[in-house]
Amino acid sequence: MLDLAIFGQHLLNGVLIGCAYALIAIGLTMIFGVMNIANFAHGEFYMMGGFLAFYLISLLKVNYFLALPLAVLLVMVLALVIQQTVFKRLREAPMMTTTLVTIGLSILLEQVAHLLWGPQPQVIPNPFPTKPLSFFGIYTTPLYLFSMAVTAALILLGHVLIQRTRMGKAMRATFQNKEAAALVGVRIDRIYMYAFTFGAALAAAAGAVLGGFIPVEPTMGGVATLKAFVVVILGGMGSFVGAIVGGLLLGLAEGLGAGYFSTGWKDAIGFFAVILLLLFRPEGLFKRA
Amino acid sequence: MSDSTRFALATGLALLALLAVPWIVRNDYYLHLFIVSLIFVVVALGLNLIVGYVGQLSLAHAAFFALGAYVSALLFLKLKWSMWIGLPAAALLTGIAAFALGWVILRVRGHRFVIITVAFSEIMKLVATNWVDLTRGFMGLPGLQIPALSLPGLGAIDVSSKERFYYVVLAAAALSFYLCYRIVRSSVGRAFVLVRENEVLAESLGISAFRYCMIAFVVGAALAGAAGALYGHYVGFVSPDLFNFSYITIMLIMVILGGKGTLIGPVLGAVLFTFLPELLRDAAHYRMLIFAVILVLATLFMPRGIIFPLVEHLVPRRWRTRHVRAA
Repeated sequence: MLDLAIFGQHLLNGVLIGCAYALIAIGLTMIFGVMNIANFAHGEFYMMGGFLAFYLISLLKVNYFLALPLAVLLVMVLALVIQQTVFKRLREAPMMTTTLVTIGLSILLEQVAHLLWGPQPQVIPNPFPTKPLSFFGIYTTPLYLFSMAVTAALILLGHVLIQRTRMGKAMRATFQNKEAAALVGVRIDRIYMYAFTFGAALAAAAGAVLGGFIPVEPTMGGVATLKAFVVVILGGMGSFVGAIVGGLLLGLAEGLGAGYFSTGWKDAIGFFAVILLLLFRPEGLFKRA
Repeated sequence: MSDSTRFALATGLALLALLAVPWIVRNDYYLHLFIVSLIFVVVALGLNLIVGYVGQLSLAHAAFFALGAYVSALLFLKLKWSMWIGLPAAALLTGIAAFALGWVILRVRGHRFVIITVAFSEIMKLVATNWVDLTRGFMGLPGLQIPALSLPGLGAIDVSSKERFYYVVLAAAALSFYLCYRIVRSSVGRAFVLVRENEVLAESLGISAFRYCMIAFVVGAALAGAAGALYGHYVGFVSPDLFNFSYITIMLIMVILGGKGTLIGPVLGAVLFTFLPELLRDAAHYRMLIFAVILVLATLFMPRGIIFPLVEHLVPRRWRTRHVRAA
């Protein structure tokens, strides 16, 4: 007999990580859709967001609720610099070049974090009471609920920006047909810049919020990139809705897998799913947005 | 000097120098670096077939290297098979693994291909880490040795000393080079380049891109597997660290900065990028940082690599890349 409370607990454990996957994947799929670049350095924005939040809160004693947006802002500046110096040169480059450059960039950022903050995992201090809350036998903490609310709100914000605003419309147009979009007055350079910076911001926010649960360390970006790629492939490359749904699905699957099967193997779920998907449904789980 | 004289001279001198290394290099540590760089020559030659000749960016190469090391190590420790059987077994098994993987992923190109090769590597790493009964997980497999080589008529030859093992890896590197040379110079090699430069044109001429990508993929992986077996037995220890992303990065740097799509470039790349980190030993903390910067800058500004353009005039014309103009 399946214990509903335990099942709910495993599901809840998966929701937050799922939201984080979705946030990272939205940026990744956006950069892919708009610039046609598989950005292997994208997870490093997630890592940088976590480390900057940790640095501001633990070492500079900045208020938690002020530090989170500040960390995101700093990552946006970093992303802007990277966009202007490196990614601008990659616009018409072949795939092998863009991929190698972003791989190099990913190691570069990881090493910079390593030199600045050291290799040891760090946990961002918790500003909330640590007393667990219980609903119907499912346990959680105020920090967990806060983080879930923030990530969910950001996903919603991303969705609204892409689907409802002028900039989002221009972005989608660029994705569908670059030349035609430019022809009707979309400034492609700007779109590249917005998409890149905004995607980095979402990833950084995920890193800053999750740093309270998952220790922040320099190597976390590489793993995050791979998971986000899994999500992007599952959702269909360049699909926003696919990234959100795929991220949540992967998070839930990992939560259940870790709970019922094994924590060591949970990371393999997504990688196997990608290979199976390629065998049986190469166009992705969902149609493109 | 005519082209072929220069070629003969260069080859002869290079061979003599390589054979004389254990006599000239009396320092144990530098000899160790020579051995490691020759093992990586085999790896880089294999990766070059895939990345340089058929033009598919595979990030699974380090996983094949590690797989070969594990296969040979497990055969040695569990079944007491000698390395001389373990080595071909490792090459065979990684070749089969590459065939199975290639059968799935060589249907796609571009970004999805790259990402799925990473997914494969991660699965392999998880297996090495989590199948503790077989692989001892993070603790790895210690206690590997280099067994004596028994040749018919010559009896058992002990090759476990560095001076002697050097000749084993030199033979492996020379054989791999010869194998790649034969492949690249044959009609298969010409098909590789055509598939790389213009897949549609290749297909329209009846050259199956899938088939030739598969040949490069399987041969390349088998070379990586054999090199992994040599490496594992030489170092004496195999662990999941072999699957770390830094390995594939260094392999790519060797091939790309050496000069992808050329035969001699990756060989020189493997040697240079084994020695360079050691010369930078004082800056050990910055090693990967320096590598990353080199990778980014070289990819952006020197797409032909940094070594090959320097030595190009020494190399006979028939060793140079054939550039098929894209239509």
